Amino acid sequence: MRQALHIFKKDVRHLWFEVAVAITVVAAFTFTGARRALWLADPVTNRIAAWTLVMILLPLAWWTLIARVIHDEVLPGDNQFWITRPYSWKSLLGAKALFILAFISIPMLLADGVIVRAHGLHPLGAELPGLLWSQVLLAIVFVLPIAALSALTTGFVQLIFAILTPCVIALGVAIVAPEVVLTGFLGASDWVKMYYVFLVISVAASAILFWQYSVRRTSAARSLAVAAGILAVLGMTLIPWSAAFRIQSWLSKQRVDQPMAHVDFDSGNKWLTRAVIERGDRVRVEVPLSITGLPPGMLAKPEGFSVQLQAPDGRMSYADQLPLKYASNMGQEFSLQVTVDGAFYRRVKNEPMKVRGSLYMTLFGNRQTVRVPFGDRSVPVSRVGVCSASGGGNLQSYFLICSSAFRFPPVLVSYRFIQSAKEAVEDVWPSTQPRRVISYSPLPAELGISPVSQDFTFSTVRVPLSEGRVDTVEPIAHIRRNFEIENLRLGDFEVRPAPVSP
Amino acid sequence: MTDILRTIDLSKRFRKTVVLDHLNMIVPEHGVYGLVGPNGAGKTTTIKILMNARQPTEGMAQVFGRDSRRLSPEDFTQIGYVSENQQMPEWMTVEYFMNYLKPFYPDWDAGRAQELLRQFELPPDRKIRNLSHGMRMKAALASSLAYRPRLIVLDEPFTGLDALVRDELIEGVLECSDGATILISSHDLSEVESFASHIGYLDRGRLQFSEEMTSLVDRFREIEITLTNSSPSPISWPAAWLNTEQSAAVVRFVDTQFDQERTMAEVQRLFGNTHHISVNRMPLRAIFVTLAKAGRKAA
Repeated sequence: MRQALHIFKKDVRHLWFEVAVAITVVAAFTFTGARRALWLADPVTNRIAAWTLVMILLPLAWWTLIARVIHDEVLPGDNQFWITRPYSWKSLLGAKALFILAFISIPMLLADGVIVRAHGLHPLGAELPGLLWSQVLLAIVFVLPIAALSALTTGFVQLIFAILTPCVIALGVAIVAPEVVLTGFLGASDWVKMYYVFLVISVAASAILFWQYSVRRTSAARSLAVAAGILAVLGMTLIPWSAAFRIQSWLSKQRVDQPMAHVDFDSGNKWLTRAVIERGDRVRVEVPLSITGLPPGMLAKPEGFSVQLQAPDGRMSYADQLPLKYASNMGQEFSLQVTVDGAFYRRVKNEPMKVRGSLYMTLFGNRQTVRVPFGDRSVPVSRVGVCSASGGGNLQSYFLICSSAFRFPPVLVSYRFIQSAKEAVEDVWPSTQPRRVISYSPLPAELGISPVSQDFTFSTVRVPLSEGRVDTVEPIAHIRRNFEIENLRLGDFEVRPAPVSP
Repeated sequence: MTDILRTIDLSKRFRKTVVLDHLNMIVPEHGVYGLVGPNGAGKTTTIKILMNARQPTEGMAQVFGRDSRRLSPEDFTQIGYVSENQQMPEWMTVEYFMNYLKPFYPDWDAGRAQELLRQFELPPDRKIRNLSHGMRMKAALASSLAYRPRLIVLDEPFTGLDALVRDELIEGVLECSDGATILISSHDLSEVESFASHIGYLDRGRLQFSEEMTSLVDRFREIEITLTNSSPSPISWPAAWLNTEQSAAVVRFVDTQFDQERTMAEVQRLFGNTHHISVNRMPLRAIFVTLAKAGRKAA
């Protein structure tokens, strides 16, 4: 411990300028982050530029500091003076960890606490788990990988090369095969893949640091870094969303009676069925479905599906586990969209098809409404954070803003303004669809530099409004339902795109 | 004397290049061991392995009887290591560098450290990055002698230094070694010759010989024979004779196993009567050149 402190003091003395810069950026982050809490009172003022700048500078300041402190005792190579001195590797690693803790983690912990408090939330109360967990995530994503890469490099040039190489490769993949990147996002279940990546990063980076500091086997450690990068990318692209859904389903707090909900062909909207001829000899088949049998007050949100189109002679087209982005959502009625091969379509289009599939959906319930009166006072909204409403006066513009600490709310949120001047209550801005980003993550924080996420809505109606309202529904269960449609003749619904004039 | 450094069948390969080939070397305690050899012979690699800065491919290196891969911080409190191309903390001043190292060594002698700074005329407040190469070597040496190490390892310490600085360094090492074991590698024999007690000659990763300096100098002789009549070259020369040359009536060679009676008997056997025999002692440098030439010829 004494040796670790001795090395730590040396690092502080050497890197005081970098430390001062990092602390200054954290102070600016705290100041602008806390000022964002006043946005509601002064919504016209644009502080986005300063906030964005600070959000960019903060990780750069951290990375510089981490690289500089680790490169102060370069690990690869055999000419460094310190490797033939009585350094204990544990003390050296401890000194570096202490430095990062003192000048990155603790300042960020304090900054987050101040910002959260400025928004009317309680960093030492309900938000404490989120505050602590967000520091863990920041360490996993912003500290550990750069620390590990610094331990594998001899200086800034090598480090930048090590950072840029995978970025260039990722950019190349995104340009050449964008579907690889696009299929990586699962919406509210993204956290499953993200935590897989966090796991790979934390295990690999910790192993690299341990390995490099204890025995300095740079070649092997570099191979481990490359393998971990490949493993993380493969996981992001290859883990099927249905696997994430299964995990989500397993974590569901409540079990829903299986026969209760049904998915059927929406015969009332049969006219929505389409077989759209597209370019590249592809045909987009759209089939309207409806979800029935839900208990009162419960809402279903389709998350994805698998579908199989089968002709009488047994020929099949199969679309497996497509995420929801291929389905157009209309509440409890929605339309599946599946793209099939043109040759298959031409062979079967006049035959009665059987459509079989499974729909993966999330059921929401426990609707709650919280009134948010206009004024300076923030109103706590369970599982969301705090909300406030302002407006009126000559401008007749009304704002409703909600702040959540450390994560997107685990509930669907929608906003309304209420006009009660004529005694009858009327929704002025009714949100038929929940509009805020939701995350199903069961953990108290999500990755993000900003500790507070804000969402707001506004209205400029020329009638006086009495209050804002925040409606929430929470996810009850994540379930799968099978469906089957008989005798669907796709040719009956064929749509050819209008020719494009030259 | 016990062995403070030892290599056992030590081999090192970089891909297909063999740098060390089953090296067996022993450095006795309290000795000054000069590890010499041409550039690329494997001297630095041997030392790096001994200092656990590199890993052997095969075999083992031992320091204080312990596998060098297991050297602990406590072991390094007894080792002073100075290398020609050592990366130093450039931002530190000389004084801060010494003060920084002090807590690492339980036996650090602050008075001696000051004395070394004075002796080497090191400016305490100058940053290491602003020191000349010679001054940097002095700073490295001063920081390695202040705690009276049991083992001093110097890897090509005099390369690129002028004669004055080199003498100052040698003087510093000898004055402050206090009976420590010294391993010094060099490709320049003249700088080792003056104070080495043992010498090891490394060539292409193999230790050609390793012995006490006195016995080495005693067994090498440059011999020139003037024959009474010109005679044909012998069909085979004795294995111990290197760089053999013969003109009409003059034969020259280096005897690597010189023994007055045995060598003369061998000359008599090969050439019969001789007109004159000149036997000259060889400086270490000449021995080194002879061995290097013979090695190249053999290769």
